[in-house]
Amino acid sequence: MEGITYLFLNAMTVASILMVVGLGLAIIYGLMELINFAHGEFVTIGAYTLVAADLLGGSFWMALLCAPIVGALFGILMERVLIRYLYDRPLAVILATWGVSLIIRQGIQLTFGAKGFGVSDPLVGTMSIVGVEYPVYRLFLIVTALSIMATCYLIIRYTRFGLDVRTVIQDREMAACMGINTRRINLMAFSAGSALAAIGGVLIAPLGNVLPHLGLGYLAKSFFVVIVGGVGNIAGVAAGSCLIGGLETFFNYHIPVSLSQALVLILAIVIVRYRPQGIIPK
Amino acid sequence: MKWNPIIFRFKLPPTLKQLVDERIWLVAFIGLAGLLLAYPLWADGYSLNLVRDMLIFGIVALSLDWLWGKGGMLSFGHAAFFGIGAYSMAITSINLDWGFSSLLGLFASVAIPGIIALLIGYFLIFAGVRGAYFVIVTLAIGIVSQQAAISWVSVTGGDSGLLGIPPLGFTLGDHRFQLDNSLSLYYVVLTVALLSLLFLWQLSRGLYGNLLKGIENNEKRAQSLGHNTSLHLLIVMISSAMLAGLAGGLYASCTGFVAPDLLSLMLSTEIFVWVAVGGRGTLLGPFIGAFIIMRLQQVVSSISTGLWPLVIGAIFIIIVFVFPDGILPFIRKFVVRFKLLFEKSGVKHGR
Repeated sequence: MEGITYLFLNAMTVASILMVVGLGLAIIYGLMELINFAHGEFVTIGAYTLVAADLLGGSFWMALLCAPIVGALFGILMERVLIRYLYDRPLAVILATWGVSLIIRQGIQLTFGAKGFGVSDPLVGTMSIVGVEYPVYRLFLIVTALSIMATCYLIIRYTRFGLDVRTVIQDREMAACMGINTRRINLMAFSAGSALAAIGGVLIAPLGNVLPHLGLGYLAKSFFVVIVGGVGNIAGVAAGSCLIGGLETFFNYHIPVSLSQALVLILAIVIVRYRPQGIIPK
Repeated sequence: MKWNPIIFRFKLPPTLKQLVDERIWLVAFIGLAGLLLAYPLWADGYSLNLVRDMLIFGIVALSLDWLWGKGGMLSFGHAAFFGIGAYSMAITSINLDWGFSSLLGLFASVAIPGIIALLIGYFLIFAGVRGAYFVIVTLAIGIVSQQAAISWVSVTGGDSGLLGIPPLGFTLGDHRFQLDNSLSLYYVVLTVALLSLLFLWQLSRGLYGNLLKGIENNEKRAQSLGHNTSLHLLIVMISSAMLAGLAGGLYASCTGFVAPDLLSLMLSTEIFVWVAVGGRGTLLGPFIGAFIIMRLQQVVSSISTGLWPLVIGAIFIIIVFVFPDGILPFIRKFVVRFKLLFEKSGVKHGR
């Protein structure tokens, strides 16, 4: 029984990181139909914000506040300088963002060095929950991720901005005819997506080593979260990240890590084959 | 050719653009082939090996161009097929002690990537996965295959790779024939490169090329004309993977070792850049692109090794914004313009 509880909590940890990162991707992909291959690098940027804060003597909480701002600024810069010229060339967006991702990754490596940084745990200790002792930080991570999801859902569902976003997703031209500034929505969505990825990066950092190619692993995984879950809705992201995170954690218990990632990938491909619209369609 | 005589009957005369295309292509092909055939006359051993490796990477780029330029499916993990081919060669020929084991290894380096492409392609292509989705999935395949090569230490040797791959050859009776000097290896690689290039060019000039062009322009329309488009795309994907695997096998037996770098995402990225710089869909362009970019890489790396990923990233952005078509189409545009000018002025003088 205890084993199952641990398995469930570990799966929730992985799933909640995927949720935050995948949500950022889903906003950009669902709203603008852009494939952002630099999304993983925003995760790295978030993680290195924490590293920089650590080196400069700041705390985890400061980094958690700063990271979304840093991520959003990078996102705005990228949208203004590159992506807004490429809205009608989807393949070109992939290439340009991949170029940016190479530059950011190498830039971070040249600035901070290729060796990893360990970040100290901001919340030390364990807490007993449903009969098992579990690290407090991981519980904090799960709660934070869930509250971010809930906040995003509330914003999309109940605010004026959310209404505009939903209108643009449904029909871009008609939304523009109704007086919605779609270019502004694009910019805001892109920066929000980048900010979410950066928050994901800060949340991941204390769990392991921070390396320049940290975000790369999350790029493919978060795409699968979005595709498997179903493009264009928040429930799909939640379902997709629970499935991918759950499967990965479950396989990790029994087989080597790389093999389990390969298995998750194969399962994702099979799911896409038989359910191309995702688990939870729009 | 019983199966589609109509296209033969109604074959349109080629347009000026097509004529110029074919003429540039042939001139460039004959020039390059002649230059490369004669190259050993004045080259030393080191640069011969260098050009041989460039040719092998050119074959990989050719295979990606066949998939992307002709089939319309961009793979971002094409190094996976190349690396799997190289590892198949290495594992077979090191572990089997038999007269024909290196030939068997070469066979495995073609067959195993082909089978993997068949499995992946069946699930993807028949599910209607095209365009951007295809790019994402192939990217993931590239990441996973590199991780597998690093962590499956008992078979792949992990980070340090596998050493001591025997050269290509076979034993007949008491005698052993093998390719172990750089001159014969060079000519074997060059022959494979030229033959595969000519074969794919002929294929794409003819009916099959028309069909693929039709699928790329409008897949639904090709379907409604009765073509099983998914099957054709699957065939293109498998043949592309097999060609990349063959190049991997040749690379492993030429250099004698394999390492996880051969499957890396960076190599996949570079393969893409070779094709894009040379000119997508030109088949010859990828070779030219590979030569130019690898030369550039040497120059940049001699300044500082950390600089190269930055340069590649910048090349991506330049490709997107400055010349999206690549070098060969760029040249063609000039030749067509020049020809039109010439013909107009000729008409004026004639009358």
